[in-house]
Amino acid sequence: MWRQHEVCFGDVIDGDPAGMNASQQSSSEEVNEDLDTKSESERQPSKDALIDISFCGATPLLWKVSDMKRCRSVGVIGALVGSLARQPRQNVRLGRPLELLQEEALLLEETSSAAASLRPQDCGDEERHSEAVRQYEAGLESSYKEQCALALEDKKRVLRKIMNEKENGERVSGTDDSGNPIRDRLNALDQAFRFPWSAMAVQLCTARAGFSHCPEERSFHSTDWPMPRDERLNTRFCVYRDLKNKGFYLTSAGDPLRFHAHFIALCISMDEELPLCDILAIARLGSNVKKTVLLCSPRSRSETGRDESVEGDVVYSSLQWSSMV
Amino acid sequence: MMDEANPPNWIQQHAVYQDLMHLDVGDSAQVYAAFLVYMDLTEVRKWKEVVGVSCPELQAVLLEGREKEGETVQMIYPLPSHRSIKHRELRCILDRGAPMLLCAVASDSTLVYQRLCDGFLTPDPPVDIKDQCRRQHRKRRLQT
Repeated sequence: MWRQHEVCFGDVIDGDPAGMNASQQSSSEEVNEDLDTKSESERQPSKDALIDISFCGATPLLWKVSDMKRCRSVGVIGALVGSLARQPRQNVRLGRPLELLQEEALLLEETSSAAASLRPQDCGDEERHSEAVRQYEAGLESSYKEQCALALEDKKRVLRKIMNEKENGERVSGTDDSGNPIRDRLNALDQAFRFPWSAMAVQLCTARAGFSHCPEERSFHSTDWPMPRDERLNTRFCVYRDLKNKGFYLTSAGDPLRFHAHFIALCISMDEELPLCDILAIARLGSNVKKTVLLCSPRSRSETGRDESVEGDVVYSSLQWSSMV
Repeated sequence: MMDEANPPNWIQQHAVYQDLMHLDVGDSAQVYAAFLVYMDLTEVRKWKEVVGVSCPELQAVLLEGREKEGETVQMIYPLPSHRSIKHRELRCILDRGAPMLLCAVASDSTLVYQRLCDGFLTPDPPVDIKDQCRRQHRKRRLQT
């Protein structure tokens, strides 16, 4: 986490976090997708518009650029986890969707900024669902064959270009025989070429998947919160909310923008037993990376001695380098 | 052969150990840990005015002392290293207001001190990469 004034949000939004510019494919479907994206961000969301949170298992995800911008503007950072398999630097320059921590999603829901969106399987029957799956898989198969053919053509084009350049080079310098390995490769390409399934580009139609409902429809479509709230999540959420209210920002390890966080927050309940060795180990870790380890525990309302309407505080203790070695 | 001056049960016969036992809190392992920390603070680190204090809420012996003459009193919580601890217990001592040290005592008598304080303590900023390189460059130049 770091103090508010040390964060520069501009980098996040301007630096193309959503991969909007990364789509250099020329097929008409992708162009339409970009147009949809642009029009959706130009349209100002109304005050009532809720951020759509989809769930993959228990993981909250945001798919729309406008939702991501809004969520970041209220200080919920998340981490981009999408990968365009054939773009360079895909371990650093990631795109949509934005993965949220469960605490971050809960905070958005609590402040009425977001709602869980209805999952398709909640409204269809088994047979329609299996049919949709079959159609999708058939679509993938035909896309794969098409991309195979295109990739093969592309490869041939590149090899021919190299070959021609080498031959031109030969004519100028008077040497010969350097184009032969490439010519052999070109001739063998039809048999030897392999296009792996994992290299296939898959389009996810976010603009057409029902995320563009108007605000009234969206609140009608939103479901009950699908995440079970166990004790551990409650503890983490109390700490997260309190820290946000104090002006801190929280980042998870996956974010490509590397901030200098000052603290490592260990969320535990007041009565949770921690082995002494674990405390020492985590303190050593913190001191090695020049971060303060914070023990954070929510205090129950009855303990704070205030009236029932006030929420419990969070107690913070810092593990400090003692210089006694 | 055991030295005459240091009988095998010299700890049990030590005046301070007996004082700590007589506080009637803490089990024998925790009192023993407190004694080892006492010896380290007084004999090795030369702390002043170190005394054992009873803490009924934690059922443990704490130590109070000053690192140097005239400095503020600090609280030390000695604990055998295999034990577990709750945040609530640490707060119990922190809330008293004095600077606090936790001391883990291992079975081989190794002592590890850990300081705790209330609230957020901003850490020292990390050393800038550029400064590190400059320092290393200077070191190399001196060596050649």
